[in-house]
Amino acid sequence: MTSPHEGSIVSLSALTKHYGAFTAVDGIDLEVPYGQVYGVLGPNGAGKTTTLRMITGLLQPSGGEITIDGHSLARSPIAAKSVVGFIPDRPYVYDKLTAYEYLSFIGGLYQMSRARVARRIRELLDLFELAEWADSLIESFSHGMKQRLVFSGALLPEPKLLVVDEPMVGLDPKGHRLIKTLFRTLTERDKMTILLSTHTLEVAEEVCDCIAIINHGRIIARGTLDELRFESGEDSGSLEEVFLRLTEETRSERAEAVADRFGRTGPTHFEATVTDADDGDEQHPGDAA
Amino acid sequence: MIARLLGVKFLTLKGSLRSTEESRHRVPAFTVLSAIFWVMLYRSSYVVVTEALQIQPIGELLVQKLLSITFLVFLGLLMFSNIVTVFSTFYLADELEFLMTKPIPKDSLFAARFIEALTQSSWVVFLFGAPIFFAAGAGINAPVEYYFVLIAILVPFVMIPTAIASIVALFITNILAANRTRDAMLFMGVAAFAILFVVIRSVRPERLLNPESFESIGEMLRLLSAPTSVWLPSDWCMDIVVPLLYQRSSIDEFSLALLITTPLALYFIAAWLHRPLYHRGFSKAQEGRHGQSLITLMRDWAMQRTTTARQSLDDRLAKLAAQPERRVSTMRELVRKDQRIFLRDASQWSQILIVLAIMVIYLVNYKYFEIAADERLLGDVGLYFFNLAACGFVVVALNGRFVFPTVSIEGRSFWLVLQAPISLERFLVGKWLGGVMPVLIVGQLLILISNLLVLQNPVFVGLASLIVLMITFGVSGLAVGVGAIYPQFHNPNAAKIASSFGAVIYMILGMFVVLAVLTFSFRFTMYFGEGYAEGFKNHLGIRSYLAFLFALLTPLIVGWIAIKLGAASLRKRM
Repeated sequence: MTSPHEGSIVSLSALTKHYGAFTAVDGIDLEVPYGQVYGVLGPNGAGKTTTLRMITGLLQPSGGEITIDGHSLARSPIAAKSVVGFIPDRPYVYDKLTAYEYLSFIGGLYQMSRARVARRIRELLDLFELAEWADSLIESFSHGMKQRLVFSGALLPEPKLLVVDEPMVGLDPKGHRLIKTLFRTLTERDKMTILLSTHTLEVAEEVCDCIAIINHGRIIARGTLDELRFESGEDSGSLEEVFLRLTEETRSERAEAVADRFGRTGPTHFEATVTDADDGDEQHPGDAA
Repeated sequence: MIARLLGVKFLTLKGSLRSTEESRHRVPAFTVLSAIFWVMLYRSSYVVVTEALQIQPIGELLVQKLLSITFLVFLGLLMFSNIVTVFSTFYLADELEFLMTKPIPKDSLFAARFIEALTQSSWVVFLFGAPIFFAAGAGINAPVEYYFVLIAILVPFVMIPTAIASIVALFITNILAANRTRDAMLFMGVAAFAILFVVIRSVRPERLLNPESFESIGEMLRLLSAPTSVWLPSDWCMDIVVPLLYQRSSIDEFSLALLITTPLALYFIAAWLHRPLYHRGFSKAQEGRHGQSLITLMRDWAMQRTTTARQSLDDRLAKLAAQPERRVSTMRELVRKDQRIFLRDASQWSQILIVLAIMVIYLVNYKYFEIAADERLLGDVGLYFFNLAACGFVVVALNGRFVFPTVSIEGRSFWLVLQAPISLERFLVGKWLGGVMPVLIVGQLLILISNLLVLQNPVFVGLASLIVLMITFGVSGLAVGVGAIYPQFHNPNAAKIASSFGAVIYMILGMFVVLAVLTFSFRFTMYFGEGYAEGFKNHLGIRSYLAFLFALLTPLIVGWIAIKLGAASLRKRM
């Protein structure tokens, strides 16, 4: 077992996910060091969400190994999950609970001590400006408020690793600023590691220490922004230019990659299935989220 | 257009059947279980019919009356299920938001929705009604035409409740304030139930068990041959099948004409009414909650009671902080979460009315069977087993309605449990703990009150309570487990989940459990029950003790296995 704060908090080895003949994630190897904000970028259907969902235990990999804070997710799922907090892109929560009840429920799921739950609820309700809504039903919350509540829930057990899928969806500019500041505070002050996937390149550019770019289920580039610039040949470009350069491909390259992911059955079902794989429309409980 | 709209449904069904690993076993599992159940239902109906025919001179009339009651019960069940189904298919289904924005002709949309509601609410009648009617045909040696005509008349028969329900739903959504339709749906369901109850009570089926309770043979013949009501489609069906069954007279053409023209007329009236009124009703059903109906007030009161904290946030947090060592209990939080959601979900919460209705109907009907017991026709033993089976069935049904959907109801929030450091087995045990208590209370109340009303033998009373207790524990586990094997995370409607494919499989399995418990506990119960009343004559063999132990443990083992399989199945779906 790796000792804390040395090496990587997340270690993926040959991680693969198949949906029938379709390969959503194709043998990804990734090491996420402690205390960093690590961004995962990629075009639609690249396999980002599937990868994050496997890391959080929402999806079972078809192959490969996931290790979190030294615990194998397959062999010690409870130990591995107890250090992870997850924020999905769409904040589906129990609408018929109040914010306070929701946070207490999370405290129960993580078997936290009552005093710690009390302290964290107070801190988080204040931080996310939800204290006055503590006893309101979640069904009356706006999308942004729900998203802030989901953030509170994920941070309640003070996880070592926070996995965030599209953190900015549905947030107003004030929310954007709050989250970006929060990410920096969590990593710098609380030594938390954040693994996030995003389409918002400006966020990635501003907060990520390191970035991995996924396309067609594989990591095609990784490193700091400067390293990615160098790799792409866009020496002074923005992350957007770097991203577009790294992910650009000819029609025939794309057709080839798609055929590969479908087990060479041809690209005819590409559009539908790619959307399924990443947007979570498959019929499994992870995607029910 | 109609074919296209229905074709999409068919493709969705086909897609869902091939979407996961487990689904490959779903159809074979369902087919095998249904076949076993079908054969058992056929055999037991056949025995009842042949036994009844032996009772002279009323045998034939008795069979006729039993068939009439069966048609009537199916009619009641169809009314009930159609009201639930029509509301969700015509007004609450998710895909309607998409369909309503498309240039679909009104009549086509109506026809497609009608056929969908008809299929969804009626397939069970075809599947499980057929063996009863076929057994009657076989028992009486009916000609082959009987079977063809029977299947042919079932189509218009099941169409009538769908057409009526669609008209009722149309008026309700147009008249009532928005979103109170769910409440109306409940009231209509309870009303249909009440009507069925009144009709069945007017028939007084318990008298059929005890011919001696009639003052004269003439009175009995009069009761048996009298139609239930000329207004009921179930009686029109009888007028058509009975002449064929006994090969005596020709089919009553007036009833045949009524049975064919009524559903057609109702369909066209419904379609015609839907042209100007459907869009208004649909639109109102989508609006927010307004108005002050009784049930809305009650719901608001319940919501306020359960969400208003007795202490301020600071006080609650201080209270939590005062016990620094104690951990927040996972199980307690899981159970409380489910209870809170249940209490605050009006569509769920108001179902308690249905439970009360079932209890009253059960106890009132059961009291009538005392007549049969007094006459020593059934006796204490017969009543004991009859009551146990009926109560077991109620427990299975209650678990099906309230416990089976609990995993599915997690819906899109299920990610929270999956990513948390808690095993799926523990999560399902939490579901079981939350669901079992209410069913346990209702089951125990039913069996105790009904037995105390009728039985004189305390050993029977005690054993019945013990057996129902074990059945409740086990069958709740079964409901949770099978609910996890066949989850419907994208279906927000608990009533619909409770009538889904997986729910039918659960119901069949649950009834098998009840049957197994009754069979294995039979000798032990008889020995101690009769021994208490008449003195112990000989010793009971060790095998009977073991069988009784097995009967008590069977439900628990089944429930435990179901929960394990449910957790494994959820894991496999990930």
